[in-house]
Amino acid sequence: MLAPVNVSLESLNLITLAPMLIPIIGALLILVIDIFKVNLHKTIYVVLSLLFLFLDFGSLLDASGVFIQDGTVMGIFDVMLIDGLAILSQLIIVAASMLFIPLALTHKRFHEFSYPEVFALFLFMISGFQFMVATDNLILVFVGLETSSLALYTLIAMHNRDKSFEAAVKYFTMGALAAGFYSFGAMVFYALTGSVEINQIATVLEANGYADIGYVLVGVTFMLASFGFKLSIVPFHTWAPDVYEGSSAAMAGYMSIVPKIAAFVVAMRLFEFLIHSGVVWLEVVLYIFVVVTMTAANIWALIQTDVKRMLAYSSISHAGFVMAAILIGTTQANSALFLYWILFSFTNLGSFSMLWISRQKHLPEYQSSDHSYDKFAGMIKTSPMAAVIMGLFMLSLAGLPPFALFWGKLYMISSAVTSGYTFLALIMALNSAIAGYYYVKLIVYMFMKEPVIGNDGHVYVANATLALKSIIGFAAVGTIFAFLALNPLLEFVTSFVYNSGY
Amino acid sequence: MLDHILSVLIFFPALAAVFGFMIQKESMRSYGVAVSVIELALSLWVWFSFDSSISGMQFMEQVPLIPSFGINYILGVDGVSLFIVILAAFFTMIGIASLTDTPNVKNMIITLLFLQMTMVGVFVALDAIVFYVFWELSLVPMLYIIGAWGGPLRIYASVKFFLYTFAGSLVMLVGMLFMAYFFYQATGVWSFAILDWYRLILPESFQLWLFAAFFIGFAIKVPMFPFHTWLPYAHGQAPTIGSVILAAILLKMGTYAFIRFSLPLFPDASVYFMYPIAILAIIMIVYTAMVAYAQKDVKQVVAYSSVSHMGVIILGTFALNVEGISGSIFLMIAHGVVSGALFLLVGVIYDRRHTKMMDQFGGLAHVMPRYATIFGIMLMASVGMPLTINFVGEFLSLLGFYQQSHILTLLAGTAIIVGAIYMLSAYKKMFFGEVTIEENKNLPDVNKRELVALIPLAIITIWLGVYPKPVLEPINNSVEAIVQLMHNKSTTEEAKSRIPNLLKGMEIIKTSTKEAH
Repeated sequence: MLAPVNVSLESLNLITLAPMLIPIIGALLILVIDIFKVNLHKTIYVVLSLLFLFLDFGSLLDASGVFIQDGTVMGIFDVMLIDGLAILSQLIIVAASMLFIPLALTHKRFHEFSYPEVFALFLFMISGFQFMVATDNLILVFVGLETSSLALYTLIAMHNRDKSFEAAVKYFTMGALAAGFYSFGAMVFYALTGSVEINQIATVLEANGYADIGYVLVGVTFMLASFGFKLSIVPFHTWAPDVYEGSSAAMAGYMSIVPKIAAFVVAMRLFEFLIHSGVVWLEVVLYIFVVVTMTAANIWALIQTDVKRMLAYSSISHAGFVMAAILIGTTQANSALFLYWILFSFTNLGSFSMLWISRQKHLPEYQSSDHSYDKFAGMIKTSPMAAVIMGLFMLSLAGLPPFALFWGKLYMISSAVTSGYTFLALIMALNSAIAGYYYVKLIVYMFMKEPVIGNDGHVYVANATLALKSIIGFAAVGTIFAFLALNPLLEFVTSFVYNSGY
Repeated sequence: MLDHILSVLIFFPALAAVFGFMIQKESMRSYGVAVSVIELALSLWVWFSFDSSISGMQFMEQVPLIPSFGINYILGVDGVSLFIVILAAFFTMIGIASLTDTPNVKNMIITLLFLQMTMVGVFVALDAIVFYVFWELSLVPMLYIIGAWGGPLRIYASVKFFLYTFAGSLVMLVGMLFMAYFFYQATGVWSFAILDWYRLILPESFQLWLFAAFFIGFAIKVPMFPFHTWLPYAHGQAPTIGSVILAAILLKMGTYAFIRFSLPLFPDASVYFMYPIAILAIIMIVYTAMVAYAQKDVKQVVAYSSVSHMGVIILGTFALNVEGISGSIFLMIAHGVVSGALFLLVGVIYDRRHTKMMDQFGGLAHVMPRYATIFGIMLMASVGMPLTINFVGEFLSLLGFYQQSHILTLLAGTAIIVGAIYMLSAYKKMFFGEVTIEENKNLPDVNKRELVALIPLAIITIWLGVYPKPVLEPINNSVEAIVQLMHNKSTTEEAKSRIPNLLKGMEIIKTSTKEAH
């Protein structure tokens, strides 16, 4: 007979669950509203989602206050782990989602946003990401990963174009493979150490001095493949451009930011202790991955004829760039990762939103695809303001000072320099130069070519509403004036990363 | 206001450019001239209040930007940068005033004002990252000017210009990050302030690598042989105003940066690389002069001659003594005035004939006597005739390098003769002989607007050629400080002997005067 288990409610520390529960409650509420009253306009769901995200953000700020005072907090049988990394990444996730959700308020009517389920799925997805980053437990990571991924596949498919179905199925297949790899990797680690908690795994492996290094490497290989898919690291990137192309521009921008930061945090937790304990093989493989991802994606981006695909390859390249932080693994590098990602999310969401407001339902004959370079030719003459803003985002992505992303690059390269990765620092710098070409190419089209006949400039803002314009304005202001907020941001990020022991 | 005069100098044009969007199209040119005149007046005010007996930085400003990473907004001006700032303000004014009928003139003037912000920013920034910000930002307006108003190959030329410089400066950025890291290791504090870096003495092996990293960024900008290939394209395709600003100011960023960064930060490496760089500079002088001789397009002649003279500036800089460095700074200003004026003059004839081919001209001296006279003066200045502005700079630069190596100086000196050959032959082809082509018979001479731009340049050319002291003195004071700093910082024997010790020189003078008493 089992002895009754007595657990006091205080020891569960339920407050650690609050940030994840808020979007779940929101999602359920949206479903309930839909049951009672159908055919409500999308605006109510947008605003409701936004409100719940605000609440979520508030609870995270609250949690960060607790973290500053008491340090890391564990809860629910020590499964939840609220440390600096968890809080920082959740802040990024929720803030980026808040920037994303008003993009549903387009001028044209799009199929997917007429379903309330979209918003429910969206909120479920966010809570999935939040679970993923706020735990040490490989099983809970898996649950979060799958919750969010399944929601994401559906969201992509709901864009309701042929290409979106293709994209969703492609992403789903690849995602399933990645999930398989992940569970296999987790299984190997469990078999080795008898635990699914990363810190336990680390302790046990440390204690026996990496006796079974061969099995560790097997586990690491599976994990690496799984996260390679999620982070679109070359050679696991093949799904990314097609999926980005198939999903709506807004969704593509979102996908280039939020799922990746979640995966980065888990990768950081898992890989960094391995690198620090001298698993040289992992270091070498990561080094190769980082360099190849940065360089190859840049070269592919050079030859794209569609701006959205170009941005897709550019996000792969940025992911490779940031992956370097996990390889370097110092506090400075990890802070640089978060700093970079915050600045990147502004810029990249901004540029994808610019594509989103120019979304066409029917292609004119001179265009081969929805966002071909030709479409943007001579934009400065027909729609100067939009051209300047788009140019600004491109310059920021290229890493031109003083725009947002430059500071991220600066700090990241500096962290490579500080830890003795001189060669890596040079490669990172030169890759920024290669990337300069394709960003400038769009600027060349916008500012130096003549508009195609029949293009009166209306197309660039066809989809714009006040909400979309404010999001873009917000992103643009953030991109230009990032340097003013940089010092508090850097100190905040560094103290959080440092106090979580990374 | 004088406390923040440098910030005002940087951001006034930018602010004016932002407000410029509100100006009506027809009034834009007057607005541009007004703004640039105010900017020039402000920069002259700086010169007026500048104490030329002080060798250090003046009008310093400091605002913390990212203090936890050692990035601060620090500005200051000394004799090295003062005149280049004034030159930048002056040429923006002249450029806008002499702007001929351009499509989208409003965009052009706004772009020029933004460009002016970045130019002034580069020369007064005393924090490496702030310097880098302006350095990179200057690429964007220039990209737009070449790409939107240039000739048929403009897009190729502008993208080549952008990517070449961008790639070079990213390597330089890595160098800067290393420098900051070494500073952090030595002191425990992050700092990108150049004046802080001056105090850091690095071992020679580090210096060599860092020197190389900075060198790539600067050499592409100058541009030094063999990184010069972007420049003829840029000049060939750029509109007149683009070429003028590019030759007069933007190229000076590279040579200025050598004096501001490379020499005082890495004195041993500077000595180590002195001969290789001098040889590159001499190849640059001779080779581009020969290429210039082979050109059929008068603008390309001026472009290659401009590269050729940049070689003399580099040579003077790497003489590593007071004469050479002062001469090279003076030559920067001279080169700015003269080659800027030559590009303006080429623009004048291009506006009338829409061709730059020299065989399309001939006998212009009969048709356009005033034009021929001004062109003649500038050409004489360009080949370095005594009593013109270039002569002072070239003479001092070569004099400086003569103390390091006689043979190389001799080679460089003969190259200047080649310069005279191609320039005079170009002049002969264009201006002398009979007017053979019908269209050339009724060309109007230079008009008032063009004279407004050209006359001041001609006056400066002769004035500073005859009496260079007001400019040379502040330059000299600041350069002496730099050379002394380099001598004190250098660690190798070779460097100690190559870089003169000025204090010792002074003591000798003092003791000898005592003995004489």
